[in-house]
Amino acid sequence: VTDSPWSTDAKGPLPDVAPPAPPQPEPRRLHPATLIVRWLRIVPQLLGGGAAYAAIVDGWGQILLLAAIAGLVGVGIALAVWLRFRYTVSAGEIVIESGVFHRQRRVIPFSRVQDIAIERRLLARLFGTAKVKIETGGSASDEGDLDMIALADARALRDHIRRGHGVAEESESAREPVLFAMSFGRLFHSGLFNFSLLFLAVIMAVLQNLAQFGIVSMEEWFNPERAGAFAGYLTLRTTLILAPLLILLGVVSGLARTVARDFGFRLTRSGESAAPGLRRRRGLFTLSEVVIPIRRAQVALIESGPVARALGWFKLSFQTLGADTKEGGVQVAAPFARLDELRPIMAEACFPMPPPRVDFIHIPRRALWRWAAPWLLIGAAATAAAFLVEPGVGLLGAAMLAAAAYGTLRWRKHGYALGERALFVSDGWLKRRLWIIPFDKAQTISVSRGPVQRRLRLATLLVDTAGASLLRLPEIVDLDAAEADELAGRLLGLFYRDRSAARIALEKTAPMLPPTTVRPPDDMGLS
Amino acid sequence: MQTTAWPTDSTLSPLHPDLVWVMRIRGLLAAAPFLALALVLDLGPLRETPVPPGIVPGAVLLVALVLLALLPSRRYRAWGYREEEDELHIGAGLLFRARTVVPFGRVQHIDVAHGPVERRFRLATLILHTAGTRGSAVSLPGLRHDEAERMRDRIREKIRQDLV
Repeated sequence: VTDSPWSTDAKGPLPDVAPPAPPQPEPRRLHPATLIVRWLRIVPQLLGGGAAYAAIVDGWGQILLLAAIAGLVGVGIALAVWLRFRYTVSAGEIVIESGVFHRQRRVIPFSRVQDIAIERRLLARLFGTAKVKIETGGSASDEGDLDMIALADARALRDHIRRGHGVAEESESAREPVLFAMSFGRLFHSGLFNFSLLFLAVIMAVLQNLAQFGIVSMEEWFNPERAGAFAGYLTLRTTLILAPLLILLGVVSGLARTVARDFGFRLTRSGESAAPGLRRRRGLFTLSEVVIPIRRAQVALIESGPVARALGWFKLSFQTLGADTKEGGVQVAAPFARLDELRPIMAEACFPMPPPRVDFIHIPRRALWRWAAPWLLIGAAATAAAFLVEPGVGLLGAAMLAAAAYGTLRWRKHGYALGERALFVSDGWLKRRLWIIPFDKAQTISVSRGPVQRRLRLATLLVDTAGASLLRLPEIVDLDAAEADELAGRLLGLFYRDRSAARIALEKTAPMLPPTTVRPPDDMGLS
Repeated sequence: MQTTAWPTDSTLSPLHPDLVWVMRIRGLLAAAPFLALALVLDLGPLRETPVPPGIVPGAVLLVALVLLALLPSRRYRAWGYREEEDELHIGAGLLFRARTVVPFGRVQHIDVAHGPVERRFRLATLILHTAGTRGSAVSLPGLRHDEAERMRDRIREKIRQDLV
């Protein structure tokens, strides 16, 4: 129980009785520890700007003086920002006032809030504070950040916003039923699949920063003579040593990244029946807590790389409305799980599980004219040229033939299935993706035909949804044109059917949709 | 209340024929800078080369006129729409033909836009914004202005009913 001014003491819902008039909300400031954290963030920036002067002045005395000035200015800035930042939480909205010179007053009605995340970085954890990110689905990235307030306040605020007002029930995430959790062994296992060469980028970034301060010179390090000398060192033996080292480093850094991000991963059912959601907690240094409201979940995505899939591991994420744009509006619900472990999560989120592979309808054979034939033709021509004219073209030929083979393999896996409540779209040969699009989540439905598609009587069908990433749209490419038109018409009819059903269910405040028929365990179209 | 028929080309109604002229004038305005550039080149640097005067601007003008004569009418024929009880069907695109259906319940907000050229012909463009990604703004040009406003009002009324 918190003593924050917006939490009421009522237990459970209060039907028909108006809630006691809440006390007049007062503007509040951020946690005082914010001053220290912000100061720690500002001073290095100031010093970085002052580094140019450090080159002019000499002697430690003057450098120390500069550092002292930077420290004091940092205190001033941090204090001014802290004093100017105030937020007021009332029954239906939060008002955030900020800005020292350019003042801003932002009003966020709770009804517009899509997502609330609580994030705790290392320093925040030392002070017992947290950063609250309120997302509204607008374009601004930091539209409602409270960085930072006391953890208890953050939780209370989140619960307050999520359930509107009137119903106050302490949410103790420890008591919530766990839907998915990862042991350390599982986490380690999953890290092995997340090969990453991120450390190279980190090394480069560090070097670049050092170069800024004149400690190392990038120009001196990376010049043609050095590259030539380096190529001289690059013998077979050094390659044999270096390549495994690079791979090992990649595995280790992937492992480190995965452990730092997914440590203590726990997905629980959150809240009460009025606003059910999935609460995800994870992180080693930066603890993050996100609640995915089930009503906001638009599309489910099950994906898996080639090796992980062979061993039976899958990743489940939900595309939500107004989620973090950095991740393309996608929230991971289970990063590394067996298919059977996804079942309770999907059931909780009111998503049907995919049907078995045999239920998927594949795109026609003539689509290969688009998926493989162009590469095959170029590849054949290049191979012929390699034998007849210039052997160097053989490399291009091989690449093109590989592309043709890949296109054929991908063509075999591309397809869709029409379930009782959702459309399933599968794509990808190496990395397999399977989208689960409930009929009532469609925004628009479109069928398009390019010039080549028209000749081949093919068409692309897209069910557009809210929060979809432009890069990975669940398109069904190269369906038979007549089939695409027919399917689009059926999807539109199913959209209206399920939408009115969802509305009736919403009015009755009953569970949103009837449970699906349970199928025996199978490959769910992912093999 | 539900309409499941997916429109094929024949069932879409055409836009206002004046849209062809709107597209032509717009095309002319878009071509103007190229024409001006060709004229400047013709009077300036090209005089020092053996290219006879008038050839370059003439060629640019010819290409522009041919494109303006052919493309707008063909693009116009590719457009079409059908207003249903609960949704709007739109057909568009000459090279990449697309049919899109926007259920009114999914519309977030509606714009009726009319630029200077459209205003002269008393035409307007209806733009439906949804929460989707690729279909986040679906526009339908070439409507009579009063017709666009009538459609907007009707869709707005639909959204209001949908919210209740």
